[in-house]
Amino acid sequence: MIELSGIEKTYHTGGVDTPVLHGINISIEEGEFVALMGPSGTGKSTLMNILGLLDRPTAGVYKLAGQDLTKLDDNKLSTIRNKRVGFVFQLFHLLPRVSVLQNVLLPFLYTDPYPTDARDRAQSLLKGVGLQDRMYFKPNALSGGQQQRVAIARALVNEPALILADEPTGNLDSVASQEILEIFDRIHAQGRTIVMVTHEAEIAAHASRVITLKDGCIASDEKRGS
Amino acid sequence: MRIFRVSRQAGSALWSQKGKAFLMLLGIAVGIMLLTAVVGLSQGVEKRISEITALFGPRAIVIQAGGGRFGGPGDRSASSSTLKLEDAMAIRNRLSERAVVAAAFVTDDIPIKSGDTNAQTDVMAADPNFPQAYDWYVASGDPLDEDDERAMSRVCVLGATIARNFFPEQDPVGQRIMINRVWFTVKGVLTSRGTNAMGFDMDDRLWIPLSTGMRRVFHQDYIRNIRLNVRSADDVAAVTDEATNLLRDRHHIRTPEEDDFRLRTPDFIAQRVRSMARTTELVGAALATVALIVGGVVLMNILLLSLSERIPEIGLKRALGASQHDIFAEFLAESIIVSLMGMALGVLLGLVPVFLIPKLFPLMPMAVTWRTFAYAALFSSFVGGIFGVQPARRAARLDPVEALR
Repeated sequence: MIELSGIEKTYHTGGVDTPVLHGINISIEEGEFVALMGPSGTGKSTLMNILGLLDRPTAGVYKLAGQDLTKLDDNKLSTIRNKRVGFVFQLFHLLPRVSVLQNVLLPFLYTDPYPTDARDRAQSLLKGVGLQDRMYFKPNALSGGQQQRVAIARALVNEPALILADEPTGNLDSVASQEILEIFDRIHAQGRTIVMVTHEAEIAAHASRVITLKDGCIASDEKRGS
Repeated sequence: MRIFRVSRQAGSALWSQKGKAFLMLLGIAVGIMLLTAVVGLSQGVEKRISEITALFGPRAIVIQAGGGRFGGPGDRSASSSTLKLEDAMAIRNRLSERAVVAAAFVTDDIPIKSGDTNAQTDVMAADPNFPQAYDWYVASGDPLDEDDERAMSRVCVLGATIARNFFPEQDPVGQRIMINRVWFTVKGVLTSRGTNAMGFDMDDRLWIPLSTGMRRVFHQDYIRNIRLNVRSADDVAAVTDEATNLLRDRHHIRTPEEDDFRLRTPDFIAQRVRSMARTTELVGAALATVALIVGGVVLMNILLLSLSERIPEIGLKRALGASQHDIFAEFLAESIIVSLMGMALGVLLGLVPVFLIPKLFPLMPMAVTWRTFAYAALFSSFVGGIFGVQPARRAARLDPVEALR
């Protein structure tokens, strides 16, 4: 479903070129749960941003479901991001001024046409992560684990093909982390494609495939029988 | 519609920072307040002009004896004896097909008396054309006619106020009234005209034949004014020019010299009234413009400042599928919504002087029309649109990767 070939990324800052990714080739099948590992500064986040269409590669081709995305303009990329990609961030990134339910509905702001069952979908997803009685709370009234569950519901609300999670448990205690990982297992079991950045081997153990980056290159790529 | 959803986001963002939003709209509110007052004044002036025109007669030309400026001194001074009956005759001979011409001798504060009732009032000695020239006819009895004029009859026609005050219980027609110690018989009563723009009661006067007034009551050989009622509205300007030239000719006035008569048309009066208000309007409009620009700059700067607090939000929205256009639209909508709220407050504040000033200064007319609201909406959304572009563009151009960090 995802095909990256020859992806390179070089940052230009202050007249200095900083190469971050050197010709990454990855192909991810539908339904895979990929853990992206590696030391800090090896380009994991950059790769995630390229996968999530927030950043463009300097060179190389990115195909999502057969479509070449490298030449699309901002409007088209935004539409694809809206409909096909769901983000889960380390710092949750909920909008503090609106309710939990409104947070889950946020992606639909940018969805045309607006789905008539938007509210139902958001509510049933919140129920799915056990927050049915927190729907009208403001995010800051929730614990970190609960906030991350809201963020997961938000990532799923537009039924995206790809879930991108950037250290989703990095800011949580072990109990909350465990809950979040169980949710990811469940999503995986439902057949969604997940790419998750993590530092911890324990967390990577939930994945069906572990890709390790080193200095902007793929150091290892192991699939596990599930 | 996506644009409505994005605008609602803008509204909710503003609601969450009400204090800041209030600061943002304050300058614009002041500007719109001034604008509302200025538009109120200019609308009031136009309303006043149309009232004056209606009372003056939309096709009327009034020629008064004596030069000088409109509204200036010397209006009724005894020295202004420059206008003669022959002038009126000459104008009538030249223009009778295009206008009704009536000459009049006007005196004020003349004692009148009937039975136990005394008063001082304006006496208009006018030729028999005056009903057509003034579009002012008798409500009962008969008008003054050519026979009265020829015979210098001691007959009069009363204004409605005098008729009411002097003959409250009987028919005034046929009654006798003493004007300047001469007995007159009431021939008719005019229809009521109410008060004029300056607040004078137009019905508190009475009319006698011109010949009677000039030779029998006041013993003068000059007249005070000539009134023309032009038959066609399109002809007013041409008749004005012709009458002016004719009088200058008759009075031997050469080009650089000033007229020894004053000629008034509704247009002339309208221009005078407008020019009296113009300075105030210009100053007000300049202040409103400055306030709107300052308000717009303040709005822009607060938006730019608050942008830094909202970088994570912008990054998030970009990740959730907002395009640069969506972010631009959302921030521009914020700016425009703030401006429109500023407009609402400004119009409310501006209506206070619009209603108050005419009460305190009756000569300063103010009016509210649809233009008040149209201009307020136009200018405030314009300011919001212009000064919102820069913050909105900066928000839209943020790198989502940086914004999420």
